[in-house]
Amino acid sequence: MYDTSHRVENAVTPKDIKIQARKVQVFYGDKQALKDVDVDILDKTVTAFIGPSGCGKSTFLRCINRMNDTIPIARVEGEILLDGEDVYDRRVDPVQLRAKVGMVFQKPNPFPKSIYDNVAYGPRIHGLARNRAELDDVVEKALRGAALWNEVKDRLSEPGTGLSGGQQQRLCIARAVATSPEVLLMDEPCSALDPIATAQVEELIEELRTRFSVVIVTHSMQQAARVSQKTAFFHLGNLVEYGDTDDIFTKPQDSRTEAYISGRIG
Amino acid sequence: MPLSWALFASFLLAAAGYIVGRSRAFATAGPDVRKLHSRPTYHGTSVALAALLPALAVLGLASVLRLTGVVTPESGLVAGTIALIAAVLGLGVGVMRIGQEYQARNVVERMVLGLLMLSSLIAIVTTAGIVLSLVFETGHFFQLYDWKAFFFGTEWTPRFQGNSRLGIVPLLWGTMYVSAIALLVAVPIGLFAAVYMSEYASRRVRGFVKPAIEVLAGIPTIVYGLFALITVGPLLRDYFAQPLGLGNSGTSVLTAGLVMGIMLIPFVSSLSDDIINAVPQSLRDGALGLGSTPSETVRQVVLPAALPGIVGAVLLAASRAIGETMIVVLGAGAAAQMSLNPLEAMTTITVKIVSQLTGDSDFNSPETLVAFALGLTLFVITLALNVVALIIVRKYREQYE
Amino acid sequence: MTDIPLSRPVDVPDRKPGSLLQQDARTKARNAAEKRFRLYGVIAIAISMIALVVLLTTILSAGSGAFRQTYLNIPVTLDAAVLDPKGNRDPAEMAKVLTVSYGRVLDAAVEATVARHNIQIEGLSEDDIDNLISKEASAQVRDRVLADPELIGQTVEFDVLTGGRIDGFFKGRVTMESAARDSNTSPQQLQLAQELANRGEIVTRFNWNFLTNADASDQRPEAAGVGVAILGSLYMMLVVLVLAVPIGVAASIYLEEFAPQNRITDIIEVNISNLAAVPSIVFGILGLAAFINFAGLPQSAPIVGGLVLTLMTLPTIIISTRAALKAVPPSIRDAALGVGASKMQSVFHHVLPLAMPGILTGTIIGLAQALGETAPLLLIGMVAFVRNFPDGLPGGLMDPASALPVQVYNWTQRSDPAFIERASGAIIVLLVFLLCMNVLAIWLRRKFERRW
Repeated sequence: MYDTSHRVENAVTPKDIKIQARKVQVFYGDKQALKDVDVDILDKTVTAFIGPSGCGKSTFLRCINRMNDTIPIARVEGEILLDGEDVYDRRVDPVQLRAKVGMVFQKPNPFPKSIYDNVAYGPRIHGLARNRAELDDVVEKALRGAALWNEVKDRLSEPGTGLSGGQQQRLCIARAVATSPEVLLMDEPCSALDPIATAQVEELIEELRTRFSVVIVTHSMQQAARVSQKTAFFHLGNLVEYGDTDDIFTKPQDSRTEAYISGRIG
Repeated sequence: MPLSWALFASFLLAAAGYIVGRSRAFATAGPDVRKLHSRPTYHGTSVALAALLPALAVLGLASVLRLTGVVTPESGLVAGTIALIAAVLGLGVGVMRIGQEYQARNVVERMVLGLLMLSSLIAIVTTAGIVLSLVFETGHFFQLYDWKAFFFGTEWTPRFQGNSRLGIVPLLWGTMYVSAIALLVAVPIGLFAAVYMSEYASRRVRGFVKPAIEVLAGIPTIVYGLFALITVGPLLRDYFAQPLGLGNSGTSVLTAGLVMGIMLIPFVSSLSDDIINAVPQSLRDGALGLGSTPSETVRQVVLPAALPGIVGAVLLAASRAIGETMIVVLGAGAAAQMSLNPLEAMTTITVKIVSQLTGDSDFNSPETLVAFALGLTLFVITLALNVVALIIVRKYREQYE
Repeated sequence: MTDIPLSRPVDVPDRKPGSLLQQDARTKARNAAEKRFRLYGVIAIAISMIALVVLLTTILSAGSGAFRQTYLNIPVTLDAAVLDPKGNRDPAEMAKVLTVSYGRVLDAAVEATVARHNIQIEGLSEDDIDNLISKEASAQVRDRVLADPELIGQTVEFDVLTGGRIDGFFKGRVTMESAARDSNTSPQQLQLAQELANRGEIVTRFNWNFLTNADASDQRPEAAGVGVAILGSLYMMLVVLVLAVPIGVAASIYLEEFAPQNRITDIIEVNISNLAAVPSIVFGILGLAAFINFAGLPQSAPIVGGLVLTLMTLPTIIISTRAALKAVPPSIRDAALGVGASKMQSVFHHVLPLAMPGILTGTIIGLAQALGETAPLLLIGMVAFVRNFPDGLPGGLMDPASALPVQVYNWTQRSDPAFIERASGAIIVLLVFLLCMNVLAIWLRRKFERRW
């Protein structure tokens, strides 16, 4: 277990903290997938979750917007505060929560609809536009924000499934961005992409950071080093170490972290 | 029965051939069985088949000739003798072939493969049989009755003494009316049930409801027919038709339609269930991750994605409804008429096929033969629906594979 | 599907982050829509369940009466002068005495019983008394006497069938009110029956005869049974089992394991999936044209029914067998080929045994379908009235027989409402058979379930 003193050293002012996780535990049936995770995720920052597969990093990510609710046997304990409000509070509607905490998945999953309808989907269900002109505007902004506008502006009515893999993933990012979330969760967003598409998405992540908090799960340490300012290392359901990305990769405090980044476990 | 005796004798010869072939193979091999290309049992089997197959071919040909009346039953003795001679010759050839190099296994396997292939051709033979028998007798019917009067006639009044009017239009109307009501019942219920089961129901509910719906599917249609006759029909008559002044018939289009709708619920729901489950989970996650409610996910993402498959399922259900017989025989009535009132008795193509073919009238009268024309029409309609549905469903499956 | 209103109370698009703990109006509306949608699902399932329950209870309650039967216990004096006029107890001579004579003997016996109990009912006619018992009763007594001529001259106790109306009266189907309007019975007759029941002469017992008797004519529903129908169905299932299973399995093996990818294979596959959806009545037409008119097989015979059902069941068996074969992982085939087995050996020694449970399950379900099928059998003449049991196998396959579902249909076409009870009873028998087959299929699936 990492000790909290590291965090104090980072001199974070409470106002910058977007998400506070306290003693989060997750069980799948009898199996415990996460043990006592405490972490503060900052606003306007890219936070990377790294660790060997099955370490609980994706599980934790899916706790933040309560996507684990869709798994009947999953049970979450502890609290995750978004701007000071517990997302697991009984009064919280996961639907409202997910509008604030968007998510991009491992495999690009555009809906079998047009590019326009894909992006407009979130604004439509959440009622973010009063008329067609406004909606057009939201869609254009989101597509520009996802660096996809120039590629697709002439074929907005074509199906989103017809795009290339990298374009599809950027479309999914645009789709998530269109609901103007405060936090964007990305679950290994580049694992199904080729290196060029990966570079484009990484560039995009860098840009998104200026607007909201980005949490990215990745199996690639290089990617974590490239895109994130903060890194958390998970191992066997424990959050082993959390700190500035540079520190984690150059002077890890925990032997397990060191073993992982030097390629001895994973 | 010389033929069955010959058959019995051929089997005996085959059994003997097996034993002879096997022991001869052992003898040829000498002390080391591995010198043989194939194991002795294969040699035995190859001899047995060599004896049996020619005999069976002769016997089969003989029975076909006899059934079609080309030869008289008395020729059975001749045929039996020929068959036995063929068996003995086959046995001899089979035994002669045995040797160390003889590839008995390959020969046996080729013959077995041939048998397997023949079996798979039964499907084609059946279809051909259906088409031939329908087309042949329908042609016969159209020699006796004008085809235009059949397809465009709006009156159905068969008479024993001839001079019947046999127009299919009122039957087609009844068929379509009943089927439409059935689909109106089955499609929403089946679809909603499938959606609820795949998207909402807990494991416990599913574990109970799914088998129960399957029970509904396993109940024979005659049971539904009786249900229509003794429960639904009188109920509709006493509580709807008579109070509303819409008729007083125990059988009606609505009775048959409702009951057939119930029968089709499991059909629609299990097909829809398959189709909804084929929609990848990642799409659901995508929608939920954007903050859709589960119902928004279903209505705006899952169902549109599954739409082609569901259309296919509805077409298959329609084809079922059109071809369904017992429910309409017992529930819809026998009056060929075109009315909009769903509480009146009407009749369908299938009902009339039954009534024209179970009557006592002369087989070669138009009143009987019309059943084949009705059958052909039914076959063509359902086939068209099935083919279109299968194409749609297949396209849909490919989309997600 | 995308008809979501675009309006929203708050100013957009850069919305202010509200508290998560309070639902905004839009979320509330959406959650209400969510609840409605779920409710539709629940309603759909509830309708299906209610339909199932109502269907089954209707049939069970309508049919349970068929398994109980009322009998009248009377001492019958078997008058030698009437029943054996020659007096030599020669069975051949006695066989010439018709049931009518036995009817007279029985009438006397019933009248004597009524007189013995000294039952006085105003307006009770002699016909009322005589018709208390079934017309079948005389045949019942005659059979007993012919089997044992020594009974003649004695007074023997008989449990004879009561008439259909009397039987119905004790099952609640016939009431005093309905009897007043009925020419076949009268309130006085029912009163008499009630008196006899009070004295223990009329009793209701489990009706084994329903399962063993043949069909009976229009006037005697009380004697009708499903014996011939059960036997006919059994014969047909045997034909289906013997023909459809080997052919279906062979065809599936060929298509799944050996068939090359070519046009012919394609045609066969399309053919099979289409055959599976051809209306059953069309198979009946095929049976009539091909097996009866063309091949000259007899009408109403189980062999023809079996052949028609075989053709109908084949697609089902082929589809489920192929699924079972497909479920065997390719690694098993590779393993067999790897040790030098031929393709054929790998299939017959390894794949087929592993797929067997699946094949059996599919076969049983196919048989269950065939057992309940009615429409095609109507067309090949199985709806005819069959009074005699078919012979033993194999000759019996050519004898006229009925089948359970067809028997049901047949009885629904009779005018006497007592036949509805019989029809429902026959359905119960049919459903019990189907239940057993399905339980067997489920048991097989559970027992041999394999996870790769």
